[in-house]
Amino acid sequence: MTKPNRVSSGKGKTYGEIKARASEGNAMVMTAMEFKKFVKANGVKKAAKEVDIVTTGTFGAMCSSGAYFNLGHSDPPIKIQRAWMDGVPAYAGIAAVDLYLGATELDESNNMMHGGAHVIEDLVRGRAVRLKATARSTDCYPLKEIDTYVSLKTMNQAVMMNVRNCYQNYGAASNSSGKTLYTYMGKLLPELGNATYSSAGELSPLLNDPYYRTIGIGTRIFLGGGEGFVAWEGTQFNPGVARTPRGVPKRPAGSLAVIGDLNQMSSDFVKGLTFTRYGTSLGVGMGVPIPILDEDMASACAVTDDKIFTAIFDYSQQRRSRPVLKEVSYAELNSGEVSIKGKRVPTSPLSSQYKAMEITKILKKRILDGSFAVTEPVQRLPLDKSLKTLDVRSEKEAMK
Amino acid sequence: MKTKLVLNFNPESSNLPITHHLIAEHGLLVNILRAEIDEVGGKMVIEVSGKADSIRKGIDYLKDASVGVRPIKEGVRRDDEACTHCGACISICPTNALSLDPKTRKVLFTEEKCVACGVCIDACPPRAMEILI
Repeated sequence: MTKPNRVSSGKGKTYGEIKARASEGNAMVMTAMEFKKFVKANGVKKAAKEVDIVTTGTFGAMCSSGAYFNLGHSDPPIKIQRAWMDGVPAYAGIAAVDLYLGATELDESNNMMHGGAHVIEDLVRGRAVRLKATARSTDCYPLKEIDTYVSLKTMNQAVMMNVRNCYQNYGAASNSSGKTLYTYMGKLLPELGNATYSSAGELSPLLNDPYYRTIGIGTRIFLGGGEGFVAWEGTQFNPGVARTPRGVPKRPAGSLAVIGDLNQMSSDFVKGLTFTRYGTSLGVGMGVPIPILDEDMASACAVTDDKIFTAIFDYSQQRRSRPVLKEVSYAELNSGEVSIKGKRVPTSPLSSQYKAMEITKILKKRILDGSFAVTEPVQRLPLDKSLKTLDVRSEKEAMK
Repeated sequence: MKTKLVLNFNPESSNLPITHHLIAEHGLLVNILRAEIDEVGGKMVIEVSGKADSIRKGIDYLKDASVGVRPIKEGVRRDDEACTHCGACISICPTNALSLDPKTRKVLFTEEKCVACGVCIDACPPRAMEILI
């Protein structure tokens, strides 16, 4: 992969200096929108010198999300084998009363309309959720079944733990076939009737830190309205994709695994979503502060939608690799219309840019009032991962 | 003036050339927004334009012909609390009743432009759109 394009760095600032200024209330904090304007007017050098922190944000359907719960022990105790929360199966194979509920897990009695994501939103809203569970009776855990209600107030832990969020760029979608397609990229009308895209573009955290210099394991983030942390690289982390000369990936690249307390979250930023005939997903709001350590970081955070590119894929091909219809910039996508094969195709952003902007503003406010502390990552995310595929193979081939 | 009407037909009234009558006899412009028919009758959503008096007479004609007539002020409603302003709806709305404010990036719903086609209903991930007819 290409190396980061180093601009002369100058002396820069340390995390310690930035944190000290922030704790004294003297840090210069800007939202991503403000920062891009500032750089346009004043240049990267001045921005690197004067600005300490830039707040980025995104709000979109993030399917690889979920939450784990510790329910507390019943009397007599139960070692739950199977569990349902408001009719949605939760994974119970982690000891006795810990459950993991995935966002895309579907209600067994409902036509793909209601799933784990909605149950998570209901819990965040303070609602009670019906818990049914069954078990094999053991000497230490004799109870065979329980039917009760739980809420965040009754649980010991309720923790959002998402294995792949906050994608660094994502492919756009259109449909050249003769029929409407219902996908996780929304409703795709026939004959290139529309195109959808899902990255927040220039507001999105990882597009402002393309080589993961400041966003790493341990980074404190805004998650679902509360505070969370980057726990690990996100699954399918794939930093080696083609990049622009400034290092911005042109395809889905990095992603983040994140964790945070459900009790702090708000239904403004944790939303159960339904994609017709695909199923459910969780709308997650995430924000990351980026410390402007030097001119490189200032230059990275100055990136605008006309310098961020993605491909529109043809979802009519039901294959792992779909054909590319066109390469486009986010500025083009945001204009409301793109031209594909001479046809004017209206576009829909699936991620809420309105909410992304809200998140950058809230995060800025929290940093300024001292309620959110910027952190230095404990460990950098890997730059040498590549994407593997699932193929039908023999036992021997799988071990090669 | 312009008004939207929901018409309900029983099997007998299903066979009447009512749009022809509204156009030819009452001089109204009729735009059919939705039409469905099944074994127990049918339903049609139309927008009629013309003089207020002609529209009133047209409605009287429909009632005389045993067609159920209900004027509608709104065909589709948005739950503003549920809407996340994601924009999934804007590229599929055929009349641009749903559009993105370039500055705030909020989804604007211009009800006057809405023809209650219902395309947005199942395309809305937080299920904020509801069809009322």
